Amino acid sequence: MIPAGWFLSLGLLLFVLGIIAFFVKRDLLTQFLSIEVMLGAGNLAFLALARGPAKVEAQVIVFFVMTVAAAEAAVGMAIILLVHRRRRSIKTEDLRTLKG
Amino acid sequence: MSVFPALGPLLAIAAGALAVILAEAFFKRENKDHLAFLSLAVLLVSGWLAVRLWGRNAEAFGGTLRFDDAAVFLTLLLLAGTAFVVLMGMRHIVRQRMNDGEFYGLLLLAAAGLVIMVSSGNFVAVFLGLEVLSVSSYALAGLKRGDERSTEAAAKYFLIGSFAAAFIVFGLALLFGGSGTLELTEIAAAGTIPLLALAGLALVLGGFAFKLALVPFHMWQPDVYEGAPTPVTAFFAFGPKAAGFLVLLRLLLPYWQSGFKKEAVFSVLWAVAAATMLVSSLAALRQRNVKRMLAYSSIAHAGYLLIAVLSKDASGLLFYLANYLFLSMGAFGVLAALGRDGVERTNLEDFAGLGARFPWMGGLFAVFVFGLAGFPPTGGFLAKFYVFSAAVREGHTALVLIAVLSSLISVYYYLRVVVFMYMRRSEGEEAAVDFENPPLLLVLFLCLYGVLQLGIFPSYILTFVRRAAESLF
Repeated sequence: MIPAGWFLSLGLLLFVLGIIAFFVKRDLLTQFLSIEVMLGAGNLAFLALARGPAKVEAQVIVFFVMTVAAAEAAVGMAIILLVHRRRRSIKTEDLRTLKG
Repeated sequence: MSVFPALGPLLAIAAGALAVILAEAFFKRENKDHLAFLSLAVLLVSGWLAVRLWGRNAEAFGGTLRFDDAAVFLTLLLLAGTAFVVLMGMRHIVRQRMNDGEFYGLLLLAAAGLVIMVSSGNFVAVFLGLEVLSVSSYALAGLKRGDERSTEAAAKYFLIGSFAAAFIVFGLALLFGGSGTLELTEIAAAGTIPLLALAGLALVLGGFAFKLALVPFHMWQPDVYEGAPTPVTAFFAFGPKAAGFLVLLRLLLPYWQSGFKKEAVFSVLWAVAAATMLVSSLAALRQRNVKRMLAYSSIAHAGYLLIAVLSKDASGLLFYLANYLFLSMGAFGVLAALGRDGVERTNLEDFAGLGARFPWMGGLFAVFVFGLAGFPPTGGFLAKFYVFSAAVREGHTALVLIAVLSSLISVYYYLRVVVFMYMRRSEGEEAAVDFENPPLLLVLFLCLYGVLQLGIFPSYILTFVRRAAESLF
């Protein structure tokens, strides 16, 4: 059996990669994808730390987090589409009408 | 025991939200007032069910849903705030050409998320409440679909909000691994693997700092507040902050007793509170847009609320939130009154001469900004006084000095609006107040009443605040 520490390390690696991608990438869609990677990393960490019969509750949480991710995706895609329709671009550097 | 008493307020508001959305989908009508009245009725029923839970400590689902007195008190504040926003929006959404019934449905869903947050004993349920709130808020911010600024606000809010949510999920996983429990009141203090739990707590607090816009994670908030429609901004200014700070208090109260490395966490949060107050007050000085200035002011108020969390001052926090409800709703309400067809008038120049042309409206706005600055006889003075004196009793004198300094800076930018209202003549097209907006005038009147009631005769509400605060310990 693969030890839990390996899964946790993989989760941590994915999480850090997600953060890096969020700051390096410059368009809404890819940044949103990197957030999804981070949420997946959180799920993996939950599963790694919930191994054992007494910790079923943490495995249930993963389903909740997936639902949250799906809801975020639905609203997020609509917003990204709206931005694209108004500006013909989803680059974050074009989002600068609001500043002060 | 039946689960229904404790579930009542939440059930009413969630069912009401779905009913409003379905009513909008199936009965297409040009006039959306019936949806507003339905929403108000739902909020009223939910509030009545919540009032009945006062003092009963009702629980459901094995403690996952727990309506202690603090939860009841804050639920009532949040429902009142949502009702204010509904009233504020009734004419506003028509005049700003965003006449969609979804405004009411999304607002009620967001309010359901807030109620879940304040009444949950389990951190996962809190997270789900936070996400119900956030996902509806992203859509609310972008409700004015034809407006570039509104869509930009929605995009920024969505991106930062879900980034923060990912931090909270990962932090929760580590906290669970480190402490073996998901109970909100135990998770931070219990520790079988303390270092893992500490890392998790740091990530969760970071996520909350993003969501509550504490410095250095505040940059998104002025943009979102400026771009979102004004009633929606009023909702953002009160709801998420109130619920978020109660969650922080519940999480950290046991942790301050016996937590692992609590001094280190305390000093980090101390620095965050100090930076939040100073940075936001200084940034507000150079704003020419009143809505944006109020956004920075709400960041500063988050700093004062964090002081209450740091000094374990539950009653101060609740009283401050009660005041902040009336002050922020009132200030944003006056801003909403200035809008015209499709255009929001929120620049400092739009306020020039307002006091002379519309004495009542100018006077109201002056009362609200004086309250936000903390002048007596408004409730804002007492709220700050209670929070600061509790902090001094706990020995955080330096933090209080910084808070007083930040309040002094804030007086300058609040007074500048008043100076514009009474001592400048307007140039160009004058901003007009539309008085044919009875729901908004009702909101302004209630806010004025609340501010003065809490400032001059606070003892009545203070007894409730004290009982609610006792239930947290």
